[in-house]
Amino acid sequence: MKSLKYYAFVILLFALFIFIMNGGDLFKKPLGSGDDFMLYMNRLEDNISVNEWQTASVNYEKLYRAWKKIVPRIQYSVEKNEINAIDVNLARLKSCISSQDKTLALLELNEAREHWQDLNR
Amino acid sequence: MFSTIKLVIGAYFHIKLLIIHLELAIGVFALNEALVVLVRSIIAFFTLLIFARMLGKQQISQLTFFDYVLGITIGSIAASLSVDITTRAWPHWVGLATWTGAVFILQETSIRSKLGDRCLTGEPSILIMNGQIMEKTMMKLRYTTSDLLEQLRDKGVFDLNKIGFAVLETNGQLSVLLKPEYQPVTPTDLNITSSNAGLSNQLIYNGLVIEANLARAGVDRIWLEQQLQAQGINSPSEVYLAGYDANSGSLYIDKYQDNLS
Repeated sequence: MKSLKYYAFVILLFALFIFIMNGGDLFKKPLGSGDDFMLYMNRLEDNISVNEWQTASVNYEKLYRAWKKIVPRIQYSVEKNEINAIDVNLARLKSCISSQDKTLALLELNEAREHWQDLNR
Repeated sequence: MFSTIKLVIGAYFHIKLLIIHLELAIGVFALNEALVVLVRSIIAFFTLLIFARMLGKQQISQLTFFDYVLGITIGSIAASLSVDITTRAWPHWVGLATWTGAVFILQETSIRSKLGDRCLTGEPSILIMNGQIMEKTMMKLRYTTSDLLEQLRDKGVFDLNKIGFAVLETNGQLSVLLKPEYQPVTPTDLNITSSNAGLSNQLIYNGLVIEANLARAGVDRIWLEQQLQAQGINSPSEVYLAGYDANSGSLYIDKYQDNLS
Protein backbone atom coordinates (compact mmCIF):
# COMPACT_ATOMS: atom_id res chain seq x y z
CA MET A 1 0.00 0.00 0.00
CA LYS A 2 2.87 2.31 0.95
CA SER A 3 4.74 1.63 -2.28
CA LEU A 4 1.51 2.06 -4.28
CA LYS A 5 1.09 5.52 -2.75
CA TYR A 6 4.75 6.27 -3.50
CA TYR A 7 4.40 5.28 -7.17
CA ALA A 8 1.13 7.22 -7.46
CA PHE A 9 2.86 10.28 -6.01
CA VAL A 10 5.79 9.95 -8.44
CA ILE A 11 3.46 9.51 -11.44
CA LEU A 12 1.37 12.53 -10.39
CA LEU A 13 4.50 14.62 -9.87
CA PHE A 14 5.85 13.68 -13.31
CA ALA A 15 2.43 14.37 -14.88
CA LEU A 16 2.49 17.85 -13.29
CA PHE A 17 6.05 18.50 -14.52
CA ILE A 18 5.19 17.34 -18.05
CA PHE A 19 2.07 19.55 -18.02
CA ILE A 20 4.09 22.61 -16.93
CA MET A 21 6.78 21.94 -19.56
CA ASN A 22 4.29 21.34 -22.40
CA GLY A 23 1.41 23.59 -21.40
CA GLY A 24 2.43 26.34 -23.84
CA ASP A 25 -0.06 25.31 -26.53
CA LEU A 26 -2.89 25.29 -24.01
CA PHE A 27 -1.91 28.56 -22.33
CA LYS A 28 -1.52 30.29 -25.72
CA LYS A 29 -5.26 29.95 -26.22
CA PRO A 30 -7.46 32.78 -24.95
CA LEU A 31 -8.56 32.09 -21.36
CA GLY A 32 -10.20 35.35 -20.38
CA SER A 33 -11.12 38.64 -21.96
CA GLY A 34 -8.85 40.53 -24.32
CA ASP A 35 -6.15 37.89 -24.69
CA ASP A 36 -7.00 36.44 -28.13
CA PHE A 37 -3.65 37.08 -29.83
CA MET A 38 -4.56 35.53 -33.20
CA LEU A 39 -7.88 37.41 -33.39
CA TYR A 40 -6.11 40.78 -33.05
CA MET A 41 -3.36 39.67 -35.45
CA ASN A 42 -5.96 38.88 -38.13
CA ARG A 43 -7.85 42.12 -37.51
CA LEU A 44 -4.59 44.07 -37.71
CA GLU A 45 -3.64 42.36 -40.95
CA ASP A 46 -7.05 43.28 -42.45
CA ASN A 47 -6.66 46.90 -41.31
CA ILE A 48 -3.15 47.23 -42.73
CA SER A 49 -4.12 45.57 -46.03
CA VAL A 50 -6.77 48.26 -46.67
CA ASN A 51 -4.67 51.11 -45.22
CA GLU A 52 -6.96 51.72 -42.21
CA TRP A 53 -4.14 53.09 -40.05
CA GLN A 54 -6.33 54.63 -37.33
CA THR A 55 -8.10 51.32 -36.63
CA ALA A 56 -4.81 49.46 -37.02
CA SER A 57 -3.32 51.58 -34.24
CA VAL A 58 -6.24 50.69 -31.90
CA ASN A 59 -6.00 47.00 -32.76
CA TYR A 60 -2.24 47.10 -32.26
CA GLU A 61 -2.76 48.27 -28.65
CA LYS A 62 -5.20 45.41 -28.10
CA LEU A 63 -2.73 42.95 -29.63
CA TYR A 64 0.08 44.27 -27.43
CA ARG A 65 -2.05 44.00 -24.27
CA ALA A 66 -3.11 40.47 -25.23
CA TRP A 67 0.54 39.48 -25.69
CA LYS A 68 1.52 40.91 -22.30
CA LYS A 69 -1.28 38.85 -20.71
CA ILE A 70 -0.15 35.64 -22.43
CA VAL A 71 3.60 35.85 -21.71
CA PRO A 72 3.40 35.10 -17.94
CA ARG A 73 1.34 32.00 -18.72
CA ILE A 74 3.61 30.53 -21.35
CA GLN A 75 7.03 31.54 -19.97
CA TYR A 76 7.63 28.15 -18.26
CA SER A 77 7.18 26.08 -21.40
CA VAL A 78 8.56 28.12 -24.31
CA GLU A 79 11.94 29.43 -25.41
CA LYS A 80 12.88 32.85 -24.08
CA ASN A 81 14.29 33.68 -27.54
CA GLU A 82 10.87 33.21 -29.17
CA ILE A 83 9.28 35.54 -26.61
CA ASN A 84 12.00 38.12 -27.26
CA ALA A 85 11.51 37.76 -31.04
CA ILE A 86 7.78 38.50 -30.78
CA ASP A 87 8.55 41.47 -28.50
CA VAL A 88 10.89 42.85 -31.19
CA ASN A 89 8.32 42.22 -33.96
CA LEU A 90 5.64 44.10 -32.00
CA ALA A 91 7.99 47.03 -31.34
CA ARG A 92 8.84 47.29 -35.05
CA LEU A 93 5.19 46.86 -36.00
CA LYS A 94 4.29 49.89 -33.87
CA SER A 95 6.77 52.03 -35.80
CA CYS A 96 5.51 50.68 -39.13
CA ILE A 97 1.92 51.61 -38.20
CA SER A 98 3.02 55.08 -37.06
CA SER A 99 4.89 55.66 -40.33
CA GLN A 100 2.10 53.94 -42.32
CA ASP A 101 4.53 51.59 -44.03
CA LYS A 102 2.30 48.80 -45.37
CA THR A 103 5.05 46.47 -46.72
CA LEU A 104 7.16 46.48 -43.57
CA ALA A 105 4.09 46.23 -41.32
CA LEU A 106 2.87 43.10 -43.11
CA LEU A 107 6.38 41.67 -43.01
CA GLU A 108 6.64 42.16 -39.24
CA LEU A 109 3.13 40.82 -38.74
CA ASN A 110 3.89 37.64 -40.65
CA GLU A 111 7.18 37.13 -38.85
CA ALA A 112 5.39 37.56 -35.51
CA ARG A 113 2.81 35.01 -36.66
CA GLU A 114 5.60 32.55 -37.50
CA HIS A 115 7.19 33.02 -34.07
CA TRP A 116 3.78 32.60 -32.46
CA GLN A 117 3.33 29.26 -34.21
CA ASP A 118 6.85 28.19 -33.18
CA LEU A 119 6.13 28.77 -29.49
CA ASN A 120 6.23 25.43 -27.63
CA ARG A 121 7.52 23.59 -30.73
CA MET B 1 -36.05 24.19 -13.97
CA PHE B 2 -35.55 27.73 -12.72
CA SER B 3 -33.13 26.53 -10.02
CA THR B 4 -31.07 24.59 -12.62
CA ILE B 5 -30.69 27.71 -14.82
CA LYS B 6 -29.75 29.69 -11.70
CA LEU B 7 -27.17 27.04 -10.83
CA VAL B 8 -25.65 27.05 -14.33
CA ILE B 9 -25.45 30.87 -14.40
CA GLY B 10 -23.92 30.84 -10.91
CA ALA B 11 -21.31 28.26 -11.96
CA TYR B 12 -20.49 30.28 -15.10
CA PHE B 13 -19.82 33.43 -13.08
CA HIS B 14 -17.79 31.49 -10.52
CA ILE B 15 -15.57 30.05 -13.27
CA LYS B 16 -15.25 33.49 -14.90
CA LEU B 17 -14.22 34.96 -11.52
CA LEU B 18 -11.73 32.14 -10.99
CA ILE B 19 -10.15 32.80 -14.41
CA ILE B 20 -9.87 36.53 -13.64
CA HIS B 21 -8.22 35.75 -10.27
CA LEU B 22 -5.87 33.26 -11.94
CA GLU B 23 -4.90 35.85 -14.55
CA LEU B 24 -4.27 38.43 -11.84
CA ALA B 25 -2.19 35.96 -9.80
CA ILE B 26 -0.06 34.99 -12.80
CA GLY B 27 0.12 38.58 -14.02
CA VAL B 28 1.81 39.68 -10.79
CA PHE B 29 4.90 37.76 -11.86
CA ALA B 30 4.89 38.96 -15.53
CA LEU B 31 7.91 37.73 -17.52
CA ASN B 32 10.45 36.91 -14.86
CA GLU B 33 13.62 35.00 -15.69
CA ALA B 34 14.38 34.25 -12.03
CA LEU B 35 10.90 32.80 -11.56
CA VAL B 36 11.26 30.63 -14.66
CA VAL B 37 14.64 29.38 -13.38
CA LEU B 38 13.07 28.71 -9.96
CA VAL B 39 10.25 26.60 -11.45
CA ARG B 40 12.62 24.78 -13.80
CA SER B 41 15.09 24.13 -10.95
CA ILE B 42 12.32 22.57 -8.84
CA ILE B 43 11.42 20.32 -11.78
CA ALA B 44 15.10 19.39 -12.36
CA PHE B 45 15.79 18.77 -8.66
CA PHE B 46 12.87 16.42 -8.01
CA THR B 47 13.27 14.65 -11.35
CA LEU B 48 16.94 14.00 -10.61
CA LEU B 49 16.10 12.88 -7.06
CA ILE B 50 13.54 10.34 -8.32
CA PHE B 51 15.79 9.12 -11.14
CA ALA B 52 18.75 8.74 -8.75
CA ARG B 53 16.56 6.66 -6.41
CA MET B 54 15.54 4.52 -9.39
CA LEU B 55 19.17 3.84 -10.26
CA GLY B 56 19.94 2.38 -6.82
CA LYS B 57 22.50 2.86 -4.13
CA GLN B 58 25.80 2.20 -5.86
CA GLN B 59 28.52 4.11 -4.03
CA ILE B 60 30.94 6.52 -5.69
CA SER B 61 33.84 4.18 -4.82
CA GLN B 62 32.10 1.34 -6.70
CA LEU B 63 31.54 3.29 -9.90
CA THR B 64 33.29 2.25 -13.08
CA PHE B 65 34.70 4.90 -15.40
CA PHE B 66 31.60 4.57 -17.61
CA ASP B 67 29.26 5.03 -14.61
CA TYR B 68 31.24 8.12 -13.66
CA VAL B 69 30.89 9.63 -17.17
CA LEU B 70 27.17 8.77 -17.17
CA GLY B 71 26.76 10.56 -13.85
CA ILE B 72 28.48 13.68 -15.16
CA THR B 73 26.36 13.67 -18.35
CA ILE B 74 23.08 13.28 -16.44
CA GLY B 75 24.13 16.04 -14.03
CA SER B 76 25.03 18.31 -16.92
CA ILE B 77 21.64 17.78 -18.60
CA ALA B 78 19.88 18.51 -15.30
CA ALA B 79 21.88 21.76 -14.98
CA SER B 80 20.80 22.82 -18.50
CA LEU B 81 17.18 21.94 -17.67
CA SER B 82 17.44 24.19 -14.64
CA VAL B 83 19.06 27.36 -15.98
CA ASP B 84 19.23 27.32 -19.79
CA ILE B 85 16.07 29.31 -20.52
CA THR B 86 17.05 29.98 -24.13
CA THR B 87 15.78 26.47 -24.87
CA ARG B 88 12.59 24.76 -23.77
CA ALA B 89 12.64 22.63 -20.61
CA TRP B 90 10.92 19.65 -22.23
CA PRO B 91 13.76 18.50 -24.58
CA HIS B 92 16.19 18.61 -21.63
CA TRP B 93 13.78 16.58 -19.53
CA VAL B 94 13.43 14.02 -22.33
CA GLY B 95 17.26 13.85 -22.54
CA LEU B 96 17.46 13.30 -18.78
CA ALA B 97 14.83 10.55 -18.91
CA THR B 98 16.53 8.88 -21.91
CA TRP B 99 19.97 8.78 -20.27
CA THR B 100 18.49 7.52 -17.00
CA GLY B 101 16.48 4.91 -18.93
CA ALA B 102 19.62 3.77 -20.77
CA VAL B 103 21.54 3.41 -17.49
CA PHE B 104 18.58 1.52 -15.99
CA ILE B 105 18.51 -0.91 -18.94
CA LEU B 106 22.29 -1.46 -18.67
CA GLN B 107 21.97 -2.13 -14.94
CA GLU B 108 19.15 -4.61 -15.53
CA THR B 109 21.20 -6.35 -18.24
CA SER B 110 24.20 -6.58 -15.92
CA ILE B 111 22.07 -8.03 -13.11
CA ARG B 112 20.23 -10.58 -15.25
CA SER B 113 22.99 -11.74 -17.61
CA LYS B 114 26.53 -12.78 -16.73
CA LEU B 115 27.61 -12.21 -20.34
CA GLY B 116 25.95 -8.79 -20.36
CA ASP B 117 27.73 -7.87 -17.14
CA ARG B 118 31.08 -8.99 -18.60
CA CYS B 119 30.55 -6.97 -21.80
CA LEU B 120 29.38 -3.83 -20.04
CA THR B 121 31.57 -3.61 -16.95
CA GLY B 122 34.51 -5.76 -18.05
CA GLU B 123 36.37 -8.28 -15.92
CA PRO B 124 38.93 -7.95 -13.15
CA SER B 125 42.52 -8.25 -14.43
CA ILE B 126 45.38 -10.00 -12.65
CA LEU B 127 48.37 -7.64 -12.51
CA ILE B 128 50.60 -9.68 -10.19
CA MET B 129 50.49 -13.47 -10.27
CA ASN B 130 52.62 -15.55 -7.87
CA GLY B 131 54.73 -12.48 -7.20
CA GLN B 132 55.37 -11.74 -10.91
CA ILE B 133 54.16 -8.55 -12.59
CA MET B 134 52.05 -9.14 -15.74
CA GLU B 135 53.53 -6.45 -18.00
CA LYS B 136 51.46 -7.33 -21.09
CA THR B 137 48.18 -7.06 -19.17
CA MET B 138 49.29 -3.73 -17.74
CA MET B 139 50.10 -2.40 -21.21
CA LYS B 140 46.73 -3.57 -22.52
CA LEU B 141 44.98 -1.73 -19.66
CA ARG B 142 47.19 1.40 -20.09
CA TYR B 143 48.15 0.95 -16.44
CA THR B 144 51.58 2.24 -15.47
CA THR B 145 54.07 0.87 -12.95
CA SER B 146 53.73 4.03 -10.86
CA ASP B 147 49.93 3.47 -10.78
CA LEU B 148 50.57 -0.04 -9.49
CA LEU B 149 53.09 1.04 -6.85
CA GLU B 150 50.84 3.89 -5.73
CA GLN B 151 47.83 1.63 -5.28
CA LEU B 152 49.96 -0.98 -3.48
CA ARG B 153 51.21 1.68 -1.05
CA ASP B 154 47.59 2.75 -0.57
CA LYS B 155 46.90 -0.85 0.54
CA GLY B 156 49.82 -0.69 3.00
CA VAL B 157 52.15 -2.85 0.90
CA PHE B 158 55.60 -1.32 0.34
CA ASP B 159 57.56 -4.48 -0.47
CA LEU B 160 56.74 -6.24 -3.77
CA ASN B 161 58.26 -9.48 -2.41
CA LYS B 162 55.31 -9.83 -0.01
CA ILE B 163 52.66 -9.94 -2.76
CA GLY B 164 51.13 -13.20 -3.97
CA PHE B 165 48.40 -11.79 -6.18
CA ALA B 166 47.18 -8.32 -7.15
CA VAL B 167 43.93 -7.91 -9.06
CA LEU B 168 42.72 -4.71 -10.70
CA GLU B 169 38.94 -4.59 -10.19
CA THR B 170 36.50 -3.12 -12.75
CA ASN B 171 36.03 0.02 -10.62
CA GLY B 172 39.80 0.70 -10.68
CA GLN B 173 40.48 -0.53 -7.12
CA LEU B 174 43.42 -2.89 -6.54
CA SER B 175 42.83 -6.02 -4.45
CA VAL B 176 45.99 -7.49 -2.93
CA LEU B 177 46.58 -11.00 -1.57
CA LEU B 178 49.80 -11.31 0.41
CA LYS B 179 51.96 -14.44 0.34
CA PRO B 180 50.94 -16.83 3.17
CA GLU B 181 54.03 -16.06 5.22
CA TYR B 182 53.20 -12.33 5.28
CA GLN B 183 49.49 -12.61 6.08
CA PRO B 184 48.35 -11.37 9.51
CA VAL B 185 47.78 -13.93 12.23
CA THR B 186 44.12 -14.71 12.98
CA PRO B 187 42.62 -16.15 16.22
CA THR B 188 42.17 -19.47 14.34
CA ASP B 189 45.93 -19.65 13.64
CA LEU B 190 46.56 -19.31 17.38
CA ASN B 191 43.70 -21.68 18.35
CA ILE B 192 41.95 -18.93 20.30
CA THR B 193 38.16 -18.89 20.52
CA SER B 194 36.74 -15.46 19.87
CA SER B 195 33.28 -14.19 20.75
CA ASN B 196 30.93 -12.99 18.03
CA ALA B 197 30.97 -9.26 17.56
CA GLY B 198 27.44 -7.91 17.37
CA LEU B 199 25.92 -4.58 16.44
CA SER B 200 26.03 -1.88 19.07
CA ASN B 201 22.69 -0.41 20.17
CA GLN B 202 22.51 3.30 20.90
CA LEU B 203 21.06 3.58 24.40
CA ILE B 204 21.52 7.35 24.87
CA TYR B 205 21.65 9.93 22.11
CA ASN B 206 21.91 13.67 22.76
CA GLY B 207 21.17 13.16 26.45
CA LEU B 208 17.96 11.20 25.81
CA VAL B 209 17.49 7.52 26.68
CA ILE B 210 16.11 5.50 23.73
CA GLU B 211 13.68 3.12 25.44
CA ALA B 212 13.13 0.94 22.33
CA ASN B 213 16.86 0.19 22.10
CA LEU B 214 17.04 -0.70 25.82
CA ALA B 215 14.51 -3.49 25.23
CA ARG B 216 16.30 -4.58 22.04
CA ALA B 217 19.62 -4.87 23.92
CA GLY B 218 17.94 -6.84 26.73
CA VAL B 219 18.67 -4.29 29.47
CA ASP B 220 16.54 -1.82 31.43
CA ARG B 221 16.73 1.74 32.68
CA ILE B 222 17.80 0.73 36.19
CA TRP B 223 20.76 -1.21 34.79
CA LEU B 224 21.72 1.77 32.61
CA GLU B 225 21.58 4.20 35.53
CA GLN B 226 23.75 1.83 37.59
CA GLN B 227 26.31 1.70 34.79
CA LEU B 228 26.29 5.50 34.50
CA GLN B 229 26.72 5.97 38.25
CA ALA B 230 29.65 3.51 38.22
CA GLN B 231 31.35 5.95 35.84
CA GLY B 232 30.48 8.99 37.96
CA ILE B 233 27.57 10.16 35.81
CA ASN B 234 24.44 11.23 37.71
CA SER B 235 22.03 11.76 34.80
CA PRO B 236 21.67 10.58 31.15
CA SER B 237 21.48 14.26 30.17
CA GLU B 238 25.25 14.47 30.81
CA VAL B 239 25.84 11.85 28.10
CA TYR B 240 26.15 12.66 24.41
CA LEU B 241 26.28 9.07 23.16
CA ALA B 242 26.08 5.65 24.82
CA GLY B 243 26.22 2.40 22.86
CA TYR B 244 25.94 -1.16 24.16
CA ASP B 245 26.97 -4.41 22.47
CA ALA B 246 24.91 -7.18 24.07
CA ASN B 247 27.18 -9.97 22.71
CA SER B 248 30.44 -8.69 24.14
CA GLY B 249 28.81 -6.78 27.00
CA SER B 250 30.85 -3.65 26.24
CA LEU B 251 29.34 -0.26 27.00
CA TYR B 252 30.71 2.84 25.31
CA ILE B 253 29.93 6.20 26.93
CA ASP B 254 30.82 9.66 25.65
CA LYS B 255 30.00 12.62 27.87
CA TYR B 256 29.34 16.19 26.76
CA GLN B 257 32.17 17.27 29.03
CA ASP B 258 35.42 16.18 27.37
CA ASN B 259 38.49 15.67 29.53
CA LEU B 260 41.48 15.88 27.20
CA SER B 261 44.23 16.41 29.83
